[in-house]
Amino acid sequence: MKVYSCCGHDTVVKRIYCPSCGTPDLQELEVSDHGTIYSFTKIHVPPVEFAEIAPYNVVLVQLIDTTAKVTGRLMGEVSIGDSVELDRVEAGAYIYKKV
Amino acid sequence: MTKTYIHGVGMTKFGNHSDRTLKSLLLDASRQALEAAGRPKVDAVFVGNFLAGSMSNQEILGAIVANDLGLGYIPTAKVEGACASGGIALRQGILGIMSGEYDTVLVAGVEKMKHANTPDVTQAINAAMDTESNEKHAGLTFPGFFGVLAHRYFHETGATKEHLAMVALKNRENALNNPLAQFQKATSIEEIMNARLITEPLGLFDCSPMTDGAAAVVLSRKPSAIHVRASALVSGPTQMQDAAELLSIPAIGESGRRAYEKAGLGPEDIDVIEIHDCFSMTEIIAIEELGFFPRLEGWKAVEAGHTKPGGKKPVNTSGGLLSRGHPIGATGLSQIYQLVHQLNGTAPNQVKGARIALAQNLGGTGSYSAVHILERV
Repeated sequence: MKVYSCCGHDTVVKRIYCPSCGTPDLQELEVSDHGTIYSFTKIHVPPVEFAEIAPYNVVLVQLIDTTAKVTGRLMGEVSIGDSVELDRVEAGAYIYKKV
Repeated sequence: MTKTYIHGVGMTKFGNHSDRTLKSLLLDASRQALEAAGRPKVDAVFVGNFLAGSMSNQEILGAIVANDLGLGYIPTAKVEGACASGGIALRQGILGIMSGEYDTVLVAGVEKMKHANTPDVTQAINAAMDTESNEKHAGLTFPGFFGVLAHRYFHETGATKEHLAMVALKNRENALNNPLAQFQKATSIEEIMNARLITEPLGLFDCSPMTDGAAAVVLSRKPSAIHVRASALVSGPTQMQDAAELLSIPAIGESGRRAYEKAGLGPEDIDVIEIHDCFSMTEIIAIEELGFFPRLEGWKAVEAGHTKPGGKKPVNTSGGLLSRGHPIGATGLSQIYQLVHQLNGTAPNQVKGARIALAQNLGGTGSYSAVHILERV
Protein backbone atom coordinates (compact mmCIF):
# COMPACT_ATOMS: atom_id res chain seq x y z
CA MET A 1 0.00 0.00 0.00
CA LYS A 2 1.35 3.42 -0.98
CA VAL A 3 0.78 6.59 1.00
CA TYR A 4 1.85 10.16 0.28
CA SER A 5 3.43 12.19 3.04
CA CYS A 6 4.27 15.84 3.64
CA CYS A 7 4.16 18.28 6.58
CA GLY A 8 3.24 15.50 9.00
CA HIS A 9 0.14 14.40 7.10
CA ASP A 10 -0.05 10.99 5.41
CA THR A 11 -2.85 10.14 2.99
CA VAL A 12 -3.62 7.55 0.32
CA VAL A 13 -4.90 10.39 -1.88
CA LYS A 14 -2.18 11.50 -4.29
CA ARG A 15 -2.21 15.29 -4.52
CA ILE A 16 -0.37 17.48 -7.01
CA TYR A 17 0.76 19.93 -4.32
CA CYS A 18 0.98 19.63 -0.54
CA PRO A 19 -1.91 21.69 0.92
CA SER A 20 0.33 22.89 3.78
CA CYS A 21 3.60 23.89 2.09
CA GLY A 22 2.78 23.76 -1.62
CA THR A 23 5.61 21.49 -2.68
CA PRO A 24 5.00 19.15 -5.62
CA ASP A 25 7.51 16.72 -4.13
CA LEU A 26 5.36 14.67 -1.76
CA GLN A 27 7.14 11.71 -0.28
CA GLU A 28 5.84 8.35 -1.50
CA LEU A 29 6.00 5.68 1.20
CA GLU A 30 5.32 1.96 0.99
CA VAL A 31 3.41 0.90 4.13
CA SER A 32 2.06 -2.35 5.51
CA ASP A 33 -1.18 -3.85 4.16
CA HIS A 34 -2.30 -4.44 7.77
CA GLY A 35 -4.50 -2.18 9.84
CA THR A 36 -7.41 -1.95 12.24
CA ILE A 37 -11.04 -1.04 11.65
CA TYR A 38 -11.44 2.67 12.49
CA SER A 39 -15.12 2.58 11.60
CA PHE A 40 -17.54 0.89 9.19
CA THR A 41 -21.07 0.72 7.87
CA LYS A 42 -23.11 -2.15 6.49
CA ILE A 43 -24.75 -0.96 3.28
CA HIS A 44 -28.24 -2.38 2.80
CA VAL A 45 -29.33 0.06 0.08
CA PRO A 46 -26.58 0.08 -2.57
CA PRO A 47 -26.18 1.90 -5.87
CA VAL A 48 -27.26 -0.17 -8.90
CA GLU A 49 -23.74 -1.39 -9.68
CA PHE A 50 -23.35 -3.01 -6.22
CA ALA A 51 -26.87 -4.43 -5.91
CA GLU A 52 -25.75 -8.04 -6.31
CA ILE A 53 -23.34 -8.06 -3.37
CA ALA A 54 -25.49 -6.14 -0.84
CA PRO A 55 -25.48 -6.09 2.10
CA TYR A 56 -21.75 -5.41 2.30
CA ASN A 57 -19.49 -3.51 4.71
CA VAL A 58 -17.60 -0.42 3.72
CA VAL A 59 -14.74 -0.07 6.17
CA LEU A 60 -12.38 2.76 7.05
CA VAL A 61 -9.06 1.12 7.95
CA GLN A 62 -6.42 2.80 10.10
CA LEU A 63 -3.19 1.59 8.52
CA ILE A 64 -0.26 0.71 10.78
CA ASP A 65 2.99 2.72 10.85
CA THR A 66 1.27 5.74 9.26
CA THR A 67 -1.46 8.23 10.11
CA ALA A 68 -3.19 7.42 6.80
CA LYS A 69 -6.54 5.68 6.60
CA VAL A 70 -7.97 3.84 3.61
CA THR A 71 -11.52 2.99 2.58
CA GLY A 72 -12.23 -0.57 1.55
CA ARG A 73 -14.83 -3.33 1.52
CA LEU A 74 -15.11 -6.34 3.81
CA MET A 75 -17.70 -9.12 3.81
CA GLY A 76 -19.04 -10.67 7.05
CA GLU A 77 -19.29 -9.32 10.57
CA VAL A 78 -16.96 -6.54 11.66
CA SER A 79 -16.39 -4.24 14.65
CA ILE A 80 -14.30 -1.16 15.40
CA GLY A 81 -10.79 -2.26 16.44
CA ASP A 82 -10.76 -5.53 14.48
CA SER A 83 -7.39 -6.37 12.87
CA VAL A 84 -7.56 -6.62 9.09
CA GLU A 85 -5.27 -7.03 6.11
CA LEU A 86 -5.58 -6.26 2.44
CA ASP A 87 -6.74 -9.39 0.62
CA ARG A 88 -6.84 -8.10 -2.95
CA VAL A 89 -7.61 -5.16 -5.19
CA GLU A 90 -10.74 -5.80 -7.22
CA ALA A 91 -12.17 -3.40 -9.83
CA GLY A 92 -10.35 -0.51 -8.19
CA ALA A 93 -11.56 -1.39 -4.67
CA TYR A 94 -9.43 -2.48 -1.72
CA ILE A 95 -10.91 -5.70 -0.36
CA TYR A 96 -9.96 -6.40 3.25
CA LYS A 97 -10.21 -9.55 5.33
CA LYS A 98 -10.10 -10.04 9.08
CA VAL A 99 -6.96 -11.59 10.59
CA MET B 1 -22.15 43.16 5.52
CA THR B 2 -23.32 42.46 1.99
CA LYS B 3 -25.79 45.38 1.71
CA THR B 4 -27.95 42.88 -0.15
CA TYR B 5 -31.57 42.50 0.92
CA ILE B 6 -34.25 39.88 0.45
CA HIS B 7 -37.43 41.22 -1.15
CA GLY B 8 -39.44 38.08 -1.73
CA VAL B 9 -39.39 34.31 -1.27
CA GLY B 10 -41.35 31.52 -2.92
CA MET B 11 -41.60 27.77 -2.45
CA THR B 12 -43.68 24.89 -3.79
CA LYS B 13 -44.98 22.16 -1.57
CA PHE B 14 -42.17 19.59 -1.15
CA GLY B 15 -43.03 15.96 -1.84
CA ASN B 16 -44.21 13.91 -4.77
CA HIS B 17 -45.22 15.95 -7.81
CA SER B 18 -45.72 13.10 -10.27
CA ASP B 19 -48.18 15.24 -12.25
CA ARG B 20 -45.82 18.19 -12.67
CA THR B 21 -42.61 18.82 -14.58
CA LEU B 22 -39.30 20.13 -13.29
CA LYS B 23 -39.91 23.32 -15.26
CA SER B 24 -43.36 23.94 -13.81
CA LEU B 25 -41.99 23.62 -10.24
CA LEU B 26 -39.10 25.96 -11.02
CA LEU B 27 -41.36 28.58 -12.60
CA ASP B 28 -43.95 28.29 -9.80
CA ALA B 29 -41.45 29.08 -7.01
CA SER B 30 -39.81 31.83 -9.13
CA ARG B 31 -43.16 33.47 -9.84
CA GLN B 32 -44.13 33.39 -6.16
CA ALA B 33 -40.86 35.09 -5.17
CA LEU B 34 -41.20 37.75 -7.88
CA GLU B 35 -44.78 38.55 -6.89
CA ALA B 36 -43.84 38.70 -3.19
CA ALA B 37 -41.13 41.20 -4.21
CA GLY B 38 -43.61 43.30 -6.21
CA ARG B 39 -42.46 42.21 -9.70
CA PRO B 40 -39.17 44.17 -9.80
CA LYS B 41 -37.02 44.42 -12.93
CA VAL B 42 -34.62 41.45 -12.70
CA ASP B 43 -31.02 41.93 -13.86
CA ALA B 44 -29.81 38.31 -13.59
CA VAL B 45 -30.95 34.78 -12.69
CA PHE B 46 -29.05 32.00 -10.94
CA VAL B 47 -30.56 28.51 -10.67
CA GLY B 48 -29.31 25.89 -8.21
CA ASN B 49 -29.75 22.35 -9.50
CA PHE B 50 -27.89 19.04 -9.37
CA LEU B 51 -29.69 16.30 -11.31
CA ALA B 52 -31.86 17.88 -14.02
CA GLY B 53 -29.44 16.81 -16.74
CA SER B 54 -29.08 13.20 -15.60
CA MET B 55 -32.64 12.58 -14.34
CA SER B 56 -34.87 14.88 -16.44
CA ASN B 57 -32.69 15.40 -19.53
CA GLN B 58 -33.06 19.13 -19.00
CA GLU B 59 -30.38 21.78 -18.76
CA ILE B 60 -30.38 25.53 -19.71
CA LEU B 61 -32.45 26.17 -16.57
CA GLY B 62 -31.30 29.79 -16.27
CA ALA B 63 -32.43 30.62 -19.79
CA ILE B 64 -35.73 28.81 -19.27
CA VAL B 65 -36.53 30.92 -16.21
CA ALA B 66 -35.65 34.18 -17.98
CA ASN B 67 -37.53 33.25 -21.14
CA ASP B 68 -40.70 31.78 -19.67
CA LEU B 69 -41.07 34.54 -17.09
CA GLY B 70 -40.44 37.15 -19.77
CA LEU B 71 -37.47 38.68 -17.97
CA GLY B 72 -35.78 39.75 -21.22
CA TYR B 73 -32.30 39.08 -22.56
CA ILE B 74 -30.41 39.04 -19.27
CA PRO B 75 -27.44 37.09 -17.83
CA THR B 76 -28.41 33.72 -16.32
CA ALA B 77 -26.58 30.59 -15.17
CA LYS B 78 -27.16 27.25 -13.55
CA VAL B 79 -25.01 26.60 -10.48
CA GLU B 80 -24.01 23.08 -9.42
CA GLY B 81 -22.54 22.13 -6.07
CA ALA B 82 -24.30 18.84 -5.33
CA CYS B 83 -26.67 19.32 -2.35
CA ALA B 84 -25.24 22.83 -1.79
CA SER B 85 -26.29 23.98 -5.29
CA GLY B 86 -29.02 26.25 -3.88
CA GLY B 87 -26.80 27.90 -1.28
CA ILE B 88 -24.04 28.45 -3.82
CA ALA B 89 -26.52 29.93 -6.33
CA LEU B 90 -27.70 32.33 -3.60
CA ARG B 91 -24.12 33.37 -2.96
CA GLN B 92 -23.54 33.98 -6.69
CA GLY B 93 -26.55 36.30 -6.66
CA ILE B 94 -25.26 38.15 -3.60
CA LEU B 95 -21.77 38.51 -5.12
CA GLY B 96 -23.33 39.82 -8.34
CA ILE B 97 -25.04 42.59 -6.37
CA MET B 98 -21.99 43.28 -4.19
CA SER B 99 -19.84 43.65 -7.32
CA GLY B 100 -22.09 46.43 -8.60
CA GLU B 101 -22.99 44.51 -11.75
CA TYR B 102 -26.66 43.88 -10.81
CA ASP B 103 -29.29 45.70 -8.77
CA THR B 104 -31.81 42.84 -8.50
CA VAL B 105 -31.28 39.10 -8.89
CA LEU B 106 -33.67 36.15 -8.92
CA VAL B 107 -32.19 32.97 -7.40
CA ALA B 108 -34.15 29.73 -7.74
CA GLY B 109 -33.48 26.08 -6.94
CA VAL B 110 -35.23 22.97 -8.15
CA GLU B 111 -35.03 19.18 -8.23
CA LYS B 112 -37.28 16.38 -9.47
CA MET B 113 -36.36 12.92 -8.19
CA LYS B 114 -39.50 10.97 -7.32
CA HIS B 115 -40.10 9.64 -10.83
CA ALA B 116 -36.96 7.48 -10.61
CA ASN B 117 -36.29 4.37 -8.48
CA THR B 118 -34.02 4.44 -5.43
CA PRO B 119 -31.01 2.55 -6.90
CA ASP B 120 -30.93 4.87 -9.93
CA VAL B 121 -31.16 7.97 -7.73
CA THR B 122 -28.46 6.56 -5.41
CA GLN B 123 -26.25 6.04 -8.47
CA ALA B 124 -26.94 9.55 -9.84
CA ILE B 125 -26.23 11.17 -6.48
CA ASN B 126 -22.92 9.31 -6.35
CA ALA B 127 -21.75 11.75 -9.04
CA ALA B 128 -21.05 14.00 -6.05
CA MET B 129 -18.22 11.67 -4.97
CA ASP B 130 -14.77 11.53 -6.55
CA THR B 131 -15.76 8.83 -9.01
CA GLU B 132 -12.16 7.85 -9.76
CA SER B 133 -11.47 7.09 -6.11
CA ASN B 134 -11.11 3.65 -4.55
CA GLU B 135 -13.92 4.67 -2.14
CA LYS B 136 -16.43 4.87 -4.94
CA HIS B 137 -15.20 1.49 -6.23
CA ALA B 138 -15.59 0.02 -2.72
CA GLY B 139 -19.32 0.77 -2.90
CA LEU B 140 -19.44 3.76 -0.53
CA THR B 141 -22.59 5.90 -0.76
CA PHE B 142 -23.64 9.17 0.90
CA PRO B 143 -25.71 7.46 3.59
CA GLY B 144 -22.76 5.06 3.85
CA PHE B 145 -20.35 7.89 4.71
CA PHE B 146 -22.62 9.11 7.48
CA GLY B 147 -23.08 5.53 8.71
CA VAL B 148 -19.29 5.17 9.07
CA LEU B 149 -19.20 8.54 10.83
CA ALA B 150 -22.06 7.56 13.20
CA HIS B 151 -20.41 4.30 14.29
CA ARG B 152 -17.23 6.17 15.18
CA TYR B 153 -19.20 8.95 16.93
CA PHE B 154 -20.94 6.33 19.09
CA HIS B 155 -17.54 4.76 19.81
CA GLU B 156 -16.00 8.04 20.98
CA THR B 157 -18.97 9.52 22.87
CA GLY B 158 -21.91 8.25 24.92
CA ALA B 159 -24.27 8.73 21.98
CA THR B 160 -26.45 5.89 20.69
CA LYS B 161 -28.88 5.27 17.87
CA GLU B 162 -31.57 6.74 20.12
CA HIS B 163 -29.90 10.18 19.92
CA LEU B 164 -30.11 10.01 16.13
CA ALA B 165 -33.77 9.09 16.52
CA MET B 166 -34.33 12.16 18.72
CA VAL B 167 -33.05 14.37 15.88
CA ALA B 168 -35.35 12.66 13.38
CA LEU B 169 -38.34 12.91 15.76
CA LYS B 170 -37.77 16.62 16.47
CA ASN B 171 -37.61 17.42 12.77
CA ARG B 172 -40.72 15.36 12.07
CA GLU B 173 -42.61 17.15 14.86
CA ASN B 174 -41.56 20.48 13.34
CA ALA B 175 -42.71 19.37 9.89
CA LEU B 176 -46.18 18.56 11.24
CA ASN B 177 -46.74 22.34 11.54
CA ASN B 178 -45.26 23.18 8.10
CA PRO B 179 -47.86 22.83 5.33
CA LEU B 180 -45.11 22.80 2.66
CA ALA B 181 -43.20 19.89 4.27
CA GLN B 182 -43.05 16.47 2.63
CA PHE B 183 -43.82 14.40 5.74
CA GLN B 184 -46.80 15.32 7.88
CA LYS B 185 -47.51 12.04 9.59
CA ALA B 186 -46.60 11.80 13.28
CA THR B 187 -44.06 9.17 14.34
CA SER B 188 -42.39 7.92 17.52
CA ILE B 189 -38.92 7.04 18.80
CA GLU B 190 -39.92 3.35 18.62
CA GLU B 191 -40.98 3.55 14.98
CA ILE B 192 -37.81 5.43 14.05
CA MET B 193 -35.55 2.98 15.96
CA ASN B 194 -37.19 -0.08 14.40
CA ALA B 195 -37.32 1.18 10.81
CA ARG B 196 -35.49 -0.79 8.15
CA LEU B 197 -31.74 -0.24 7.97
CA ILE B 198 -30.23 1.75 5.10
CA THR B 199 -26.54 2.00 6.03
CA GLU B 200 -25.93 0.81 9.58
CA PRO B 201 -26.51 2.29 12.06
CA LEU B 202 -28.71 4.62 10.00
CA GLY B 203 -32.29 3.56 9.35
CA LEU B 204 -34.93 4.97 7.05
CA PHE B 205 -35.86 7.94 9.28
CA ASP B 206 -32.19 8.92 9.69
CA CYS B 207 -31.94 9.63 5.96
CA SER B 208 -33.39 12.54 4.00
CA PRO B 209 -35.89 11.42 1.37
CA MET B 210 -36.13 11.78 -2.38
CA THR B 211 -38.23 14.89 -3.03
CA ASP B 212 -39.68 17.01 -5.83
CA GLY B 213 -39.81 20.74 -5.22
CA ALA B 214 -38.53 24.24 -5.85
CA ALA B 215 -37.80 27.42 -3.90
CA ALA B 216 -36.76 30.93 -4.92
CA VAL B 217 -35.51 34.23 -3.49
CA VAL B 218 -35.41 37.77 -4.91
CA LEU B 219 -32.34 39.77 -3.86
CA SER B 220 -31.76 43.48 -4.33
CA ARG B 221 -29.40 46.25 -3.27
CA LYS B 222 -32.55 48.26 -2.42
CA PRO B 223 -33.16 47.97 1.35
CA SER B 224 -35.89 45.76 2.77
CA ALA B 225 -36.62 44.37 6.24
CA ILE B 226 -34.28 41.38 5.70
CA HIS B 227 -30.55 42.03 5.25
CA VAL B 228 -28.07 39.32 4.23
CA ARG B 229 -25.47 40.05 6.87
CA ALA B 230 -22.92 37.49 5.62
CA SER B 231 -22.35 34.94 2.88
CA ALA B 232 -19.57 32.34 3.08
CA LEU B 233 -18.64 29.28 1.05
CA VAL B 234 -15.76 26.82 1.28
CA SER B 235 -14.75 23.49 -0.20
CA GLY B 236 -13.54 20.60 1.93
CA PRO B 237 -12.22 17.04 1.60
CA THR B 238 -13.82 15.08 -1.24
CA GLN B 239 -12.96 11.67 0.21
CA MET B 240 -13.68 10.06 3.58
CA GLN B 241 -10.23 8.45 3.76
CA ASP B 242 -8.59 11.87 3.31
CA ALA B 243 -10.26 13.55 6.30
CA ALA B 244 -7.74 14.46 8.98
CA GLU B 245 -10.43 13.78 11.59
CA LEU B 246 -13.48 11.71 10.66
CA LEU B 247 -15.74 13.34 13.26
CA SER B 248 -15.12 16.82 11.89
CA ILE B 249 -16.53 18.19 8.64
CA PRO B 250 -14.09 21.07 8.15
CA ALA B 251 -16.08 22.73 5.35
CA ILE B 252 -18.95 23.33 7.81
CA GLY B 253 -16.68 24.70 10.53
CA GLU B 254 -14.69 26.93 8.19
CA SER B 255 -17.74 28.31 6.35
CA GLY B 256 -19.27 29.13 9.73
CA ARG B 257 -16.09 30.77 10.97
CA ARG B 258 -15.89 32.95 7.86
CA ALA B 259 -19.58 33.89 8.06
CA TYR B 260 -19.31 34.88 11.73
CA GLU B 261 -16.23 36.96 10.96
CA LYS B 262 -17.90 38.79 8.06
CA ALA B 263 -21.04 39.36 10.14
CA GLY B 264 -19.16 40.46 13.25
CA LEU B 265 -21.27 37.96 15.16
CA GLY B 266 -20.76 34.65 16.93
CA PRO B 267 -22.84 31.52 17.48
CA GLU B 268 -24.20 33.07 20.68
CA ASP B 269 -25.95 35.78 18.61
CA ILE B 270 -27.98 33.42 16.41
CA ASP B 271 -31.68 33.09 17.28
CA VAL B 272 -32.85 30.48 14.77
CA ILE B 273 -31.02 28.01 12.56
CA GLU B 274 -31.64 25.90 9.46
CA ILE B 275 -28.85 23.39 8.94
CA HIS B 276 -28.23 20.66 6.44
CA ASP B 277 -29.55 17.51 8.17
CA CYS B 278 -29.15 15.26 5.13
CA PHE B 279 -28.83 12.58 7.81
CA SER B 280 -29.66 12.75 11.52
CA MET B 281 -25.95 12.30 12.25
CA THR B 282 -25.09 15.32 10.11
CA GLU B 283 -27.26 17.63 12.23
CA ILE B 284 -25.30 16.66 15.35
CA ILE B 285 -21.92 17.24 13.66
CA ALA B 286 -23.12 20.56 12.19
CA ILE B 287 -24.33 22.03 15.50
CA GLU B 288 -20.86 21.25 16.87
CA GLU B 289 -18.94 22.59 13.85
CA LEU B 290 -20.96 25.84 13.86
CA GLY B 291 -20.06 26.42 17.50
CA PHE B 292 -23.54 26.10 19.00
CA PHE B 293 -22.43 23.23 21.24
CA PRO B 294 -19.00 21.80 22.19
CA ARG B 295 -17.31 19.23 19.98
CA LEU B 296 -18.51 15.65 20.61
CA GLU B 297 -21.33 16.99 22.82
CA GLY B 298 -23.98 17.86 20.25
CA TRP B 299 -25.84 14.67 21.19
CA LYS B 300 -26.22 15.94 24.76
CA ALA B 301 -27.85 19.14 23.47
CA VAL B 302 -30.27 17.06 21.42
CA GLU B 303 -31.08 14.92 24.46
CA ALA B 304 -31.67 18.06 26.58
CA GLY B 305 -34.07 19.49 23.95
CA HIS B 306 -31.90 22.56 23.29
CA THR B 307 -32.49 22.32 19.52
CA LYS B 308 -36.29 22.18 19.74
CA PRO B 309 -38.36 25.26 18.80
CA GLY B 310 -38.59 26.39 22.45
CA GLY B 311 -34.95 25.50 23.20
CA LYS B 312 -31.78 27.59 23.44
CA LYS B 313 -30.84 27.06 19.78
CA PRO B 314 -33.83 26.07 17.65
CA VAL B 315 -32.59 24.00 14.69
CA ASN B 316 -34.63 23.17 11.59
CA THR B 317 -37.97 24.62 12.61
CA SER B 318 -39.11 23.85 9.04
CA GLY B 319 -38.64 20.11 9.58
CA GLY B 320 -35.20 20.11 7.97
CA LEU B 321 -34.13 17.94 5.08
CA LEU B 322 -35.29 14.89 7.02
CA SER B 323 -38.96 15.90 7.09
CA ARG B 324 -39.44 19.10 5.04
CA GLY B 325 -37.78 17.08 2.27
CA HIS B 326 -34.63 17.43 0.18
CA PRO B 327 -35.17 18.39 -3.48
CA ILE B 328 -31.42 18.78 -3.82
CA GLY B 329 -31.01 22.05 -5.76
CA ALA B 330 -33.91 23.69 -3.90
CA THR B 331 -32.82 22.84 -0.35
CA GLY B 332 -30.49 25.78 0.27
CA LEU B 333 -33.19 28.22 -0.83
CA SER B 334 -35.96 26.52 1.14
CA GLN B 335 -33.82 27.13 4.24
CA ILE B 336 -33.86 30.86 3.37
CA TYR B 337 -37.65 30.66 2.80
CA GLN B 338 -38.14 29.37 6.35
CA LEU B 339 -35.73 31.84 7.93
CA VAL B 340 -37.25 34.87 6.18
CA HIS B 341 -40.61 33.78 7.60
CA GLN B 342 -38.98 33.36 11.01
CA LEU B 343 -37.58 36.91 10.87
CA ASN B 344 -40.95 38.24 9.69
CA GLY B 345 -42.73 36.43 12.54
CA THR B 346 -44.81 34.30 10.17
CA ALA B 347 -43.08 30.88 10.29
CA PRO B 348 -44.34 27.47 11.30
CA ASN B 349 -42.81 26.81 14.75
CA GLN B 350 -42.19 30.54 15.12
CA VAL B 351 -39.32 31.46 17.42
CA LYS B 352 -40.51 34.48 19.36
CA GLY B 353 -38.63 37.68 18.55
CA ALA B 354 -36.14 36.04 16.16
CA ARG B 355 -33.82 38.71 14.76
CA ILE B 356 -30.68 36.87 13.56
CA ALA B 357 -30.86 33.63 11.57
CA LEU B 358 -28.27 31.25 10.12
CA ALA B 359 -28.57 28.81 7.19
CA GLN B 360 -25.97 26.13 6.45
CA ASN B 361 -26.12 24.10 3.22
CA LEU B 362 -23.79 21.12 2.65
CA GLY B 363 -22.71 19.49 -0.62
CA GLY B 364 -21.27 15.99 -0.95
CA THR B 365 -19.73 14.45 2.15
CA GLY B 366 -18.31 17.84 3.09
CA SER B 367 -17.10 18.91 -0.35
CA TYR B 368 -18.95 22.23 -0.07
CA SER B 369 -20.55 24.19 2.72
CA ALA B 370 -22.37 27.50 2.31
CA VAL B 371 -23.41 29.61 5.31
CA HIS B 372 -25.67 32.67 5.17
CA ILE B 373 -26.55 34.90 8.12
CA LEU B 374 -29.73 36.97 7.82
CA GLU B 375 -30.90 39.80 10.06
CA ARG B 376 -34.14 41.70 10.50
CA VAL B 377 -33.36 45.41 10.15
